[in-house]
Formats: sequence, structure tokens, C-alpha cells
Amino acid sequence: MNWREFQSMQRVAEIGDRFVSYVDEGAGEPVVLIHGIPTWGYLWHGLVPVLAKQHRVLAPDLPGFGYSDKSDRFDRSIARQVEMIDAWMERLQVERAHVVAHDIGGGVALRLATGFPQRVKKLCVMNTVAYDSWPIEMMLQLGHPETRRKLSASTAVTMLKQALKQGFSTSPEDEVLDGILAPYTTEVGKLSLVRDAAALNTNLTTEITQLLPQLNAPTLILWGEDDVFQLVKYGERLVRDIPDARLMRIKDARHFVMLDRPEEVAGHISAFLGGQ
Amino acid sequence: MFGLGKPKQVTETEADGEIERVYHEIKQSLRVTGVNLNFRTWAGYEKFFPVMWDAMRPTVETRAFEEAADQVRAEAARAAETLGRLDAASQVQLGESQAYQIKAALDLYHYINPKLLVFTSAVKLALNGEHQARGESRAGTLELIERGVPARMYPMEMVSADPDDERISRLFDDIKETLSLSSINSDYRTLALWPDYLETVWGKLKPVTKREEYKHSSDRLREAARDLARALPLPISLTRRQVEELGEDADEIIKTTEKFEQLLPSLVINVALFELDWRTPDEAVKSPFPAATRGGGETRQGGDR
Repeated sequence: MNWREFQSMQRVAEIGDRFVSYVDEGAGEPVVLIHGIPTWGYLWHGLVPVLAKQHRVLAPDLPGFGYSDKSDRFDRSIARQVEMIDAWMERLQVERAHVVAHDIGGGVALRLATGFPQRVKKLCVMNTVAYDSWPIEMMLQLGHPETRRKLSASTAVTMLKQALKQGFSTSPEDEVLDGILAPYTTEVGKLSLVRDAAALNTNLTTEITQLLPQLNAPTLILWGEDDVFQLVKYGERLVRDIPDARLMRIKDARHFVMLDRPEEVAGHISAFLGGQ
Repeated sequence: MFGLGKPKQVTETEADGEIERVYHEIKQSLRVTGVNLNFRTWAGYEKFFPVMWDAMRPTVETRAFEEAADQVRAEAARAAETLGRLDAASQVQLGESQAYQIKAALDLYHYINPKLLVFTSAVKLALNGEHQARGESRAGTLELIERGVPARMYPMEMVSADPDDERISRLFDDIKETLSLSSINSDYRTLALWPDYLETVWGKLKPVTKREEYKHSSDRLREAARDLARALPLPISLTRRQVEELGEDADEIIKTTEKFEQLLPSLVINVALFELDWRTPDEAVKSPFPAATRGGGETRQGGDR
């Protein structure tokens, strides 16, 4: 599925003054897929059809990302994103869902599971930010105030495309990388991504460290073990701190583990979530 | 076009110093998420641009200016209704989110384009020494409207004016040639975010632009905007002599301004035609973003410079 096909599947919900674009496919127990930075719902284009065979799959673009609201000057912190996800689930009348998340989406998911435990039935985080693992240098540079002025959108996307390749153990297809970065090829898209990067705040995961032992959702921690952005040692720490958690290390995979090893990852998640 | 070369434009990303200050104020005072082609082009005359804006700013923040633009928008919507619906939206496969965003983008331009037309007419009148403040106004027209971008206004997101995508590039070339544009307007660059939609709606619009009725509607709208600009109650401290004293080419600036005044009525009508695929005629006549009065019912005094 190319990114334009994925985009044309997106529905929309207004949450206050913002709007959220999301994919809603399949039927059954709901599963919410939360992407990281600098991606959008398209990250899950391979996983959506697999999970949709047995579940209602909901994949939002977080506000400020992808084809959700990219207006300027609103709070894009993961703390605010949790509130947006909560309000969005309320709008869709989804009381409780399995949550699958990646990168800073994992930070959102961990805060959701600790702050709004009634929302999360089972939790799967993969190569997630946690504790003080973030922001990584590339994102610090992206969020620098001068980036807006110094880098055109096309230059920023070219540089990101090159940098993202380090997140794969395989050689990603251009179509996939172009799709991941498509929403950020305009100046508005670039600025939105700069704002997203500037909002990255490690305190928002360190401050929930003491809450992790109280996280009561069954938790699967998937990790592409060769990840150079988010090191597997953070997954090892999470599995010690979260009571009902297990860690599965995915060999020969890096940060974008669901794209490096799509079938293996889909298999683990399907098995973890179970059927109806 | 009109014997002019393509003036240098200043994008929002490139703007710094006084240009950046003016762009910021434009977005606040005109209540818009971005700066349109007019401003990006005027900004190429870097001494003229801040002086022009400072002369216009007191006027654009008044109810009188907002209402003048509202009248232009209403007239454009009525003209569009007479020209007939394009019925393009129903012929494109669009996802729910895509349709939502196209509507939001059209609302943005349906709001700002009439303001640009009145603004441009006022600048042209001032430069030609034809704007005389009436010194009188009906009650309320000098009250100040709120500043700032409406909360739900779509960002002025657009593809490059020189896109890599061959299909979009061909569309832009056709639009420019058909409408005699030297640069592609923000409106079409925004709609190019959804190429299937732009291709379809342009295919429907193109024959309409060749009808005499369309040209008459554009001419009437230009005259109406000029009359409304002439009636704006505050003086506009901008003269040809000032421009010359700045060391700018007054003839070129006036020609550029006249060019925009020539082209904008069609653009206002085109967007109104696009809107009618998504809105009822009654909705299209109204402002998508009505402006509240600034707190305390403040008014602009004639001498408030």
C-alpha cells in the first residue's frame, strides 16, 4: 500500500479546535496503533491489514504529525498527546483498547497506561522511548529554532531520509521512506515537525518511572535489538519495572522493527492480542 | 504578463528583519495562517513593503475593512452561483479526512482572498492619489476587530511552486497560461496537496473562465472592491512620492499592484465556485470566520497612527 492509498483511507475527528486523521479498519476488539517521530499512521501500513482480520484497528496521526492538524502553536508534548488520545477515544466511543506503540508513541502509550489505566487492555511497545532514552541527537537538531530558517523543507526531508536509514537493518525501499516523510515535504509540514521535535521532553517519561510498577495491563515489549536510536537496555529495564511484562528481542532488526521484520512482528502482536 | 518580469518573492521561511515583522503582523491583523502571493511579491520591494503595511494596518483592523471584504465575498458567491456549480468534488474519490481538509483549505482562501482584493485596491488608490478618507463613517465601522488566527483556520500549507511531480507541474503550467499568471497562486498550490481534486476541479473551471459572463463578473467584482476601498473611512498615509523617496521604482510597484488588482477578482470567484461544491449558496455568502469586536469596543481614531 502506498502512502496516498493509506491517506485516502483516513477518517477525521474534531477534538476541540484540533482535528485528528485516523484509519479505522476491521471489526472486533479495538487496537490503537500509535506512531512516533518523524512518522505518521502510514508507519503501520503493513500491520493494519493483518490485525484488521481479527480486530478493529485504529491508527491515528498524532496532532502535529502526518495528516492531522498541523496548525502552529499548540502543545505537542507527549503529555498533551495522551489527553488528545483519551479525548479521541471518547469521541469514537472506544472505552478500552489494546494499544500498540512505537518510539515516542510508546512514551504516549506508557503515560496512557499509567495515567488512564481504564483505557488500556493490553499494551505492546516497540523500540519505545522510556526513562531518559530521548530525545536523540537527530531530534534535538531537528527541534533547534534555527532549523526552520536554515533548512528548506526539501533539504530537511532529504537529510531525514538519509538519517532514517540508520533505523533499518534492511535496505528500506524509497517508496516507504518517501511515504513516511510525505507530510513533511511542505514548509508547513516541516515547521510542524520542528515544533514536534522541540516539544520532546525526557521529563515526561522519567516522571512516570515510579508509576511503572503499578501498570497492570499485560505488556509486550518488542525490540529490534540492533537499534541505534533506542537501545535495547531500556527494554530490559522496562521489563524489570512493569509487573506483567515480557521482552521479545527481534534479531537483525533496528528501530523500525515493524518494517525490518514485518511478518515476525505481526505474528508476535497477533499472538499477544489474541482473537475475539 | 503586462510587460513585467517576474518580481522576486520573499517566502515566509526567507523573511527576516522588517519583512519578518510585517509577515507576523499581517497574520495577526488579517487573521490568516500565512502570507499570500501579493505580500510575498510586495516584500521583494524591501523598503516599500514595511511602509505600505504600516500605512494600511490601521485600516485593516477596522470593522469597515472586514465588512468591505464581507461584501466582496458575498458578491463573489452570488456570481459563482449564477455561473453554476462545478460539481467537481463528487467526481473525485476522496477519503473523509481529505475532504475535510479540502473544505478547510477552501474556507481559508474564501476568507482571505476578498480581504486581499480590497487591500490591493486601497493600496493602488493610495499610490495613485485617489484615496481620500471620508472623515465620516456610519456607527461601528471604526471599531477594531479581534487580532489573531481563528482557532480552526487551516494552515496555509502548499506544495512548491516548482514541484517535482510532473502531473502537478503540468497543471500549474496550464493554470498559469490560462489565467495569464506569472506565478502560481497559493490557492492552487494548496489544492495541489490533493492532486486528483485539483486536476478535476481545474478541468471543470477552465472552460468557465473563458465565458463572457465570467469576465463580466470579474470586472464587476473589481469595480465593487474599488468602490469599497475608496469608501474606507481612515486615511492611508501612502503616496507615490513617498515610494520614490525610498528609492524604490514607483512605476514598477504600481504596475505590480495593478496586476494583482486585475487578477484577484477572478481568483475570488474561482474559490467561491470551488466552495459551492461543498457549501450551500447561503453558507458561501457568509464569512467562514466572522470577526468579533476587540474587547471593550475599542475604536480606531482618524489620527491614530
